[in-house]
This record gives sequence, C-alpha cells and structure tokens, in this order.
Amino acid sequence: MELLLFDGFNGLIQGAFYALMALGLSLIISLNSVINFAHGGFMVVGAYLAFTLAPYIGFWPALFAGPILAGILGILVERTLVRSMYGRSDPIYSLLLTFGFALIIEDVVRTIWGAQGVPFEIPAALGSPVSTTYFFLTGYRLFVIAAIGLATIALFAFLRLSRFGIRIRAGILDLETVSALGVNVYLLRSVNFAIGTLLAGFAGVLAAGVLQLAPTMGDDVIMATFVAVVVGGIGSLFGSVLGGLLIGLAAGITTAYYPAASDVVIYVIMAVVLIVRPRGLLGQEGLFE
Amino acid sequence: MSATVLKIENVHTYYGKSHILHGVSMEVAEGEIVTLLGRNGAGKTTTLRSLSGLTPAREGRIEILGHDTTRWPAYKIARLGVGYVPEGRRIFPNLTVLENLAVPMTRPGYWSVDRVLELFPNLRERRDSWGRQLSGGEQEMLAIARALLVNPKLLLLDEPSQGLAPLLVHEVFRVVASMREQGISILLVEQNARFGLEVADRVYVLNDGQMIHSGPAQELAKDEVRVRALAGAGASEA
Repeated sequence: MELLLFDGFNGLIQGAFYALMALGLSLIISLNSVINFAHGGFMVVGAYLAFTLAPYIGFWPALFAGPILAGILGILVERTLVRSMYGRSDPIYSLLLTFGFALIIEDVVRTIWGAQGVPFEIPAALGSPVSTTYFFLTGYRLFVIAAIGLATIALFAFLRLSRFGIRIRAGILDLETVSALGVNVYLLRSVNFAIGTLLAGFAGVLAAGVLQLAPTMGDDVIMATFVAVVVGGIGSLFGSVLGGLLIGLAAGITTAYYPAASDVVIYVIMAVVLIVRPRGLLGQEGLFE
Repeated sequence: MSATVLKIENVHTYYGKSHILHGVSMEVAEGEIVTLLGRNGAGKTTTLRSLSGLTPAREGRIEILGHDTTRWPAYKIARLGVGYVPEGRRIFPNLTVLENLAVPMTRPGYWSVDRVLELFPNLRERRDSWGRQLSGGEQEMLAIARALLVNPKLLLLDEPSQGLAPLLVHEVFRVVASMREQGISILLVEQNARFGLEVADRVYVLNDGQMIHSGPAQELAKDEVRVRALAGAGASEA
C-alpha cells in the first residue's frame, strides 16, 4: 500500500509537470498553429538560467527569473523564426523548424553547461521530508504541486478575466475576425508564444529541484507532453491539464505493479483515446472526426 | 458633395489562383448608405474582404478616409475606423456576450459597451450567455454591437438579414438606418434586394467580379424586373 502511495505520488508530480508543459504547448498549438517541438528546449533553458542565476540572486528570485528569460527567448524566436511559418498551411514546416531549434538548444546547453547533469540547490527548508512514514513527501515536492496548481489557476484567471486573455481565447477559434476588430494579432501571437515558453521554463526550474539538470531533460518530457495534449484534446486547455495528470498518474501507478510497462502505458492510453474518441477527452467536435 | 470615405479603383482580388474581382471600382461618401447587390458568387463578400484587409487586393487601389490601405493588415484598417460585420456573423462561440464585446480594440467615440447594450436590450439580458447559445437574431445584434465598439466611420455589413425572420430583418433595418444619424457611412452587402434598396442611398450591382450597374437606390427599387435581371431571381424576395 505504501509502495502504491509512493509511486502514485511520484506519478502525480510527474503528471503535474506534464500538465504544465501541455498547457503551454496547447496554447501555442491553438493560437500560433505551430507544433512546437522546441517546447522541451525552452524548459531546459529556463532551468539552466535559473541554476546559473541562483548563486547570485538566490533561489526564490531565480525561480521567477528563469521562466521570464525563457519567455523573452520565446518572443525572440517567435518574431525571427516562427512568424514566417504562419502563412504556410502545411504544419510540417513549423514542425521541422522547431525540431531543428530543439536540437540547437540542446547542443548550446551542452556546450555552455556541459553534458553531465548538475544538481540544483533548493532551500534547506524545502528539502526535508514532512513525515517519516511518508518519506517521499518532501517539502519541495509539495511545494512543486502547489506552485504548478497556482500557475495553472493564474493562467486560467488571465484567460478568463483580462482583455488580452479573452482575445487569446477568441483568436484560438477565429483569429481572422479578431484581426478585423482592430486587434494586433501579430502581437497577440507573440505574447501567447511567450506565455507558453514561460510556462515551460517554470516547469524546468521546478523539475530541476526534483531531478537534476541535464541537457536532455527536455527530451524525456516532450513526448509525454504531446501525449497529454492529444489525450486531453487539442484546443482544450482544461483537457491538457487533465491529460497530463492522467498519464502521469497512470505511469506512476503502473510502476507500482509492473515497472517495465510504465513508459508504454501512456502510449497505450493515447492509442485507446485516438481510437475511441479521436478528438480527445475534452477536445472540440469536428477537429479530428 | 461631401467627403469620400471609401474609394476603390480597379481592384483585382484572388483566392489562391482563382481570380474573383476583375477590376472593381466604387465609392462611398460620408454619411451615405450604399448597398452592393449581386447573385451568389458575384464577388460581394470578396469585395468586403478586400476592403477590410482580410483578403488583400492583388491589383488596384483602396483608399479609406484618405489613406491608401491597399496593403495594410486588417487590424490597422479596423483601427482607422472600419467596423466589419462578417458573413455568418462569426460570433466567438466559446466566449460570453460580454466577452465577445471585450474583443474589439475600442477607439474613443460614442459607442461603449453600455451604449451598445442600450441599443440591443436583448443582449443585455443575455450578457452572460455563451455565444453558441444565441439565436441567429441575437448573433446578428452581437456582431453589429461588436463592430460598433470600434467606433467606425465606415461600417461594412455582410448580409445582415441572412437567415433572419422578417421581424428581425426590420429590427436590423431600423438599426442600420439609425447609423446614418450617427454620421456613420455604411456599405451593405445584401441578397435581400428589397431590404437593401429600401435602406440605401445608392446601389451597386456586381456580377462575375465586375460592376454591372450603379445608381440611386430609389430608381432601381421601382423597377423590379430590372432588379431581377441584374441581381438574380431570388433577389427581390422579401
């Protein structure tokens, strides 16, 4: 039972990371119509920048500085590279572009910070287990769940309550009409891309404290993130959160019973969803069926 | 003669390789209501899309409020003071009525969210309903309200009467006519020729991407046979 709780909690943490990554990816797919293969790369960049800055500015400021810098990098990439893909109806171009960019990020990180993983120091207050029975419940792990929960709530509040957020939601379904109403859709897409990469950077910093930093840490997450978006339903942000948590938990619980299958299970879930309900759990009707 | 709000000269517009508009020219003066009639596929919607920058003209010149807007992006044209009510309304279904009204980039002027809700009391009652829950008439009102929030000097209306019951067509008619008092110029695309001619000062008729008639609306309204010949058999139905 304790083993199940342990693996289940690990799965929940994993799922929370997938959910946060999937949210950003989903925003970018929906409004920028770009399948951002470099999403894991932005996660790595956010993590390493926070790691580099933390000794100078401290853990807490670095926790925010890393993601913000990942967001700024996102704006630069959108303006210089991604924007030229908007006119092309075939998604293969943006997929190849961002895939290439993901490889570049990984190599740049390897060149600057080295191929070996490096540990990310977290505040001592967060490092110790909360209880001796449930040794896996460290303060940091609980903090990660709370932080991801807060980031998710903040994003939904922004999309629901701010004018900019409302325009993003409008643009997801009908960007042309949004532009005909006087909204600068180029700016809207830039900022949206930056929000997506900022969330990826935030996931990166938080993940760095659980695992350790490595240039390839994005690779391990990006496929599961795509699965989370597909399972939740493309175009649905709630779906991305749900999809992320679902596959994380499923992988965790599978680990308790049959560890060898824990990687496979998320693809099995995706296959089942695609066969039974191609639009995904909360996806809109008509996109894929 | 009052100032010209819109002037288009020899406009050619394409969808990909298909050539839709073959040298269209027309004008709208300040405070004027102009109706554009024509059969299905004549190029009426394409004309409005060229004006609003959604499908830019490949040749020719479009001048709005003294600016050459031929190559402008749609959002800059809207910010100049062009309100656009697209064909099929294109309400955002995943947004509430109030959220739909939060999307436009508002220019300073008479129209505010409060004022448009005063103009359309139905929308006030349904302000928290989702766009997808609205009836056709309510969607039309919302699309007009949304365009008014830009505080337009020129309003482009694409088939506002489409799919509406006669009573609602009259409601739209009333609103369009009242825009004239606001000094808003209107370019109206219509299949419903009776409505289009009744409300307008002048009329243009488009066929196969070319203007085949222009003149005072009253003159054409008297000649139903001519309307039918120019704008198609269905055009004179109420």
